[in-house]
Amino acid sequence: MNATPVPAFERGVRLREEADGSAVLLVPEGVVRLNASAVAALRLLDGRRSIDDIVSALRESGYDAPEDHIAEDVRELFVRLRERRLVRW
Amino acid sequence: MTAPRPLSILCEVTYRCNLQCPYCYNPLDLDRYRAELSTEEWQRVLGEAAAIGVLQAHFSGGEPTLRRDLVELVRSASTHGLYTNLITQGTFLDDGLLTQLKDAALDHVQISVQAPEEHLADEIAGTRVHTRKLNALRRVQETGLALTLNCVLHRRNHDLIEDVIRLAESYGITRLELANVQFYGWAYRNRTALMPTRAQVEHGVRVVAAARERLGRRMEIAYVVPDYFEERPKPCMHGWGRAFMTVTPNGRVLPCPAAAAISTLQFDRVQDRPLRDIWYSSAAFEAYRGTGWMPEPCRSCERREVDWGGCRCQAFLLTGEAGATDPACALSPQHAVVADWRVAQEETNFEPRRMPAAAKAS
Repeated sequence: MNATPVPAFERGVRLREEADGSAVLLVPEGVVRLNASAVAALRLLDGRRSIDDIVSALRESGYDAPEDHIAEDVRELFVRLRERRLVRW
Repeated sequence: MTAPRPLSILCEVTYRCNLQCPYCYNPLDLDRYRAELSTEEWQRVLGEAAAIGVLQAHFSGGEPTLRRDLVELVRSASTHGLYTNLITQGTFLDDGLLTQLKDAALDHVQISVQAPEEHLADEIAGTRVHTRKLNALRRVQETGLALTLNCVLHRRNHDLIEDVIRLAESYGITRLELANVQFYGWAYRNRTALMPTRAQVEHGVRVVAAARERLGRRMEIAYVVPDYFEERPKPCMHGWGRAFMTVTPNGRVLPCPAAAAISTLQFDRVQDRPLRDIWYSSAAFEAYRGTGWMPEPCRSCERREVDWGGCRCQAFLLTGEAGATDPACALSPQHAVVADWRVAQEETNFEPRRMPAAAKAS
C-alpha cells in the first residue's frame, strides 16, 4: 500500500494513563504493559492520524531515538499491535 | 511479604439467575447470598477499588442484569476510571438496556451460549433461552460495543466445537472464548456428567489450531486444555492475592471466585473493613500470598513464580488442604486424584444449578 494506514484502537481496547506518568493498555481480559516509546506513539493514536503522521509528530516532540529509526520503530510497533488485535486499520 | 497492587475486581453483584447451568462455579449454598449489597455499598466498593490502584471492574454473578441498578454501578465504575466488563448470559439484553449500558461507558460485554444449537443449549440451560441469546449477540454487534462470545465446554458439547466457531463467524464475532469447564461449585458436584474425555480434548486442540490458521486476524480464539488433563497446574489468578479480588453478592472479599468453598479461611466483608485493609492485611489474603506458604514440591520448584502452586480452591476440594500443591500438577504426591478422572466416566445426568425458592418474597 502507498499511503500509510490510519490505525485506531480495536473495540474494547483503551489506553489508560497511570499516576506515575506511565500508561497501560486495558483489554477485556486484562492489562497490557507498554514501554515508554510505545506509550508515546499510542498517545498520538486518534483514528485520524496515519502512521506517518504519528512518526512526524514524534519527531517534532523530540522522540529519543536516531532520526532514521523512528519511522521503522513506529511501523513495527503498529504491525505488532495489529497482530495482537490491539489496533486495527 | 509486600502485596502487589490489585489490578482487577470481579463484582458478583447477585447469584440470582434464570438459568440452571450444571457447570456453574457459584457455591452450592446459594441461599446464603440472598442479602445483597446495596447500590451505595457497591458504589463505595468501586471507589475504594479505584483508590488502591484497581484498573478493571468485571460485573458478573449469577446474572448481573437481574440487578436493577446495574447501569448505575457500571457508570460509577466508569466515573472512577475503571475499565468495565459485563459478563452475562444475555437473556435480558434488550435495546433499552444496551443503550443505557453504552451511555454508562461500558467497555466490553461477554455473552455465553451453552451450545451451538437450540435444543442442546436449552437443555443445558434448563430453560428456553438460546434464541434470546442469539438476538442479544446481534443487538450488541449493532451497538458497536466490544463483544466476546463465550461457550463453556464439557462432555455434552465438546464435540461441537467446530459448530460453535461457525456460529461465532456467522455473528461476526472477533473474540471467542472456548472455556473448558472448571470444577468448582456446581461443576464440581456434576463432575461425573461433565468431565470431557481425553479424545474430546485432543480433538478440541486440533480443531482450534485449524480454525486459528484459517481465520487469522478475523477471530481470536481462546482455548485452554482443562487442567485435569495437564501435567502442570494453571496459574490460578496469577497467584493468590497478587492481582485479583472477587466481591460476592453479600460483600465477602475472595482472592479467587471459588474461594468461599475453603472452609478453613475466614473472608472479611466490605461492610466491616476498608478494601485496602482486606487486600493488604487480611488473614485470608495473606494466607497463600507469594511463595512462603508453599510445601514441597512447590517450594523448590523452578516454576513456583510461574504457576504459584496452582489453585488453592482446587487443592482444598481435592485434598482437604488448601495449602497443598494443586493435585493438577504431576509432581503433586496426590496427583492420582486428578489423573483418575482422565478415564471415561459413566453417563449420568447432571444436577441443575438452583437457588431454593425464597421463603418469602425478597
